[in-house]
Amino acid sequence: MASLRIKEHPILTVDQHVPEIQFEFNGKIYTAREGDTIASALLLNGIRTLRVHEETASPRGIYCNIGHCFECRVTVNETAEKRACLTPLEDGMVIHSGQRLPTPFKKGEE
Amino acid sequence: MNEKDIIICRCEEVSYEDIVHLTELYQCSSREIKLRTRAAMGYCGGRTCRNLVDQIVSEIKNEPPADNIPLTYRPPVRPIPFRLFGGE
Amino acid sequence: MNQLVIVGAGPAGLSAAIAAAKNGVNVTVIDEFMKPGGRLLGQLHEESNGIWWNGVDEATNLFNEAIEFHIQFQFETSVHHVKKHSNHWDIQTDKGMFKSQALLVATGAAEHSIPLPGWTLPGVMSIGAAQVMANVHHVKPGHHGIIIGINVLSIAIARELKLAGVQLESIVLPSCNLLNKEASQPGVVFQKLAKLAHLAPSPLFKMGGFLTNKLSFLEKLVVRSFPKNGLKAWGIPIQIRRAVIEILGEEKVEGVKVADITPSGVIMKGTEKIIDVDFVCIAGGLYPLTELIGVTACPFKFIPSLGGHVPVHNEQMQTPVEKLYVAGNITGIESAKVAKAQGKVAGLSVAHDLHYLQDHNAIDDAVQHVKKMRDHALIQFHPDINKGRNELNGASITN
Ligand SMILES: Cc1cc2nc3c(=O)[nH]c(=O)nc-3n(C[C@H](O)[C@H](O)[C@H](O)COP(=O)(O)OP(=O)(O)OC[C@H]3O[C@@H](n4cnc5c(N)ncnc54)[C@H](O)[C@@H]3O)c2cc1C
Repeated sequence: MASLRIKEHPILTVDQHVPEIQFEFNGKIYTAREGDTIASALLLNGIRTLRVHEETASPRGIYCNIGHCFECRVTVNETAEKRACLTPLEDGMVIHSGQRLPTPFKKGEE
Repeated sequence: MNEKDIIICRCEEVSYEDIVHLTELYQCSSREIKLRTRAAMGYCGGRTCRNLVDQIVSEIKNEPPADNIPLTYRPPVRPIPFRLFGGE
Repeated sequence: MNQLVIVGAGPAGLSAAIAAAKNGVNVTVIDEFMKPGGRLLGQLHEESNGIWWNGVDEATNLFNEAIEFHIQFQFETSVHHVKKHSNHWDIQTDKGMFKSQALLVATGAAEHSIPLPGWTLPGVMSIGAAQVMANVHHVKPGHHGIIIGINVLSIAIARELKLAGVQLESIVLPSCNLLNKEASQPGVVFQKLAKLAHLAPSPLFKMGGFLTNKLSFLEKLVVRSFPKNGLKAWGIPIQIRRAVIEILGEEKVEGVKVADITPSGVIMKGTEKIIDVDFVCIAGGLYPLTELIGVTACPFKFIPSLGGHVPVHNEQMQTPVEKLYVAGNITGIESAKVAKAQGKVAGLSVAHDLHYLQDHNAIDDAVQHVKKMRDHALIQFHPDINKGRNELNGASITN
């Protein structure tokens, strides 16, 4: 399927010569480019699920894209709970998606 | 449409049905609904659903919104990384 | 210690920083985004003279001017608490503490959501998310999508997505529940758009404007006989008589279930059908992001035409709390040009209160400029904005 990268635009200036960079997500290597956020880089690579809900494991992805909803939080180079939409991608970054927590963490009456 | 399937609070997965049901049952404030269900009290700090909970409660109880905010904001308004608690 | 810390590097925060720094105040601006501009980034509007108003360029110009005046910037820094002491503020962030004599909170707006079955699926995003993805990061939100929620912002952003080469099925309404009583009724939605008619250059708006000026029963007729396939704005169908009932998909969005609705929003049985899409945008409108004001002693006022709860403040952008100022969308939902004009007022007020301001007419002139920008705004989010502003000014006097 065609790339989601916008290559030309009637009004905005779209720079064609941005250096590419590589990063790792859940153990696989992907390519994006400088200036991408983790969120835009993953979307570009067809990855929509950034984490699963800690209790129910329902898949979650980008929702607000400006740091308000915290749905896109991922672990970046060992630092947990980084918002993918607010974190600029860097060459060699190692990113993991959030996982379902073991059941003892589960709150509630059960 | 199955209203049970509508999630209002994404962080705590609280449903539309839960909020409507508890509001009708207890005829309580939206503050109390939030404390009972944890809706709007999860990771995002209620930015996505706080207004929704207030709105459902005010519709059911037929009370217009007041000037003061139903469940006051408490710091931190963004989750703090654990390392900051350690004192640097 | 800083003399002024500003939270938010949007048009309000940037222009406030410039106005204050020009008068000799030393300023630090904190923002959690990685670049300056706030929600200005991503905005793209065609002015009535056919010239494009490009938010990215506007942001760059403001930032360059700010740098000239030696304003300090802290990006990728989230403010999580502010605390008033007898003669300074503590501003707590994830990168440590800042201290300042004066504090300006210019945190802008956030989006309302429209909960529907399936809306937590990856691929469902707010309309603003799609705007930022396309116009700031130059990545399309998906290949083929649908927008839920018909309002000024969703129509404007739909056009931006089209310009970016994104395929849009249509803009439709959400199905009705307690949360979207108004936003799910074709009649009410149509009336709202019609009131804002003279402000927008779309065919739909023009037609709406014509009708409201005449007879309101004609309007009902229009909604009743509204073509099922919608009227097009810039080639995008706006389907005021169709609602999304459910968003479908296993691991991510695969489609939506839609149905035709009556003029009051009731689903017409037997009209349900499934449309394949790989992304869904939810456009629930904007509200002022006031959480940092909420942890101070500043009172609020609930004013629907301004977008909900707003901090009490006067025309000089001072709040009742000493050395606490507000500007931009935190004071009410308006266009970026109004936010920028308000920022200038706030910056001058701080300069005045810290005894730096020489030109004492400057504040009055800047206040007049805000009103002018308001009257000439390209995008109005609510027809009763002036009424809301007056109500707030009244509150600031009695408080
Ligand atoms: C998603 C979205 C899309 C919009 N699209 C349009 C449009 O197309 N046309 C239009 O006219 N108006 C639009 N608006 C309205 C917009 O709010 C105004 O046009 C204008 O940008 C408001 O300026 P501001 O300076 O008040 O706030 P903003 O431009 O929103 O800037 C606020 C800044 O504060 C920062 N911030 C917030 N909280 C914190 C914190 N705790 N710590 C650190 N930083 C923080 C944010 O990162 C942001 O950069 C949109 C608003 C949103 C939310």
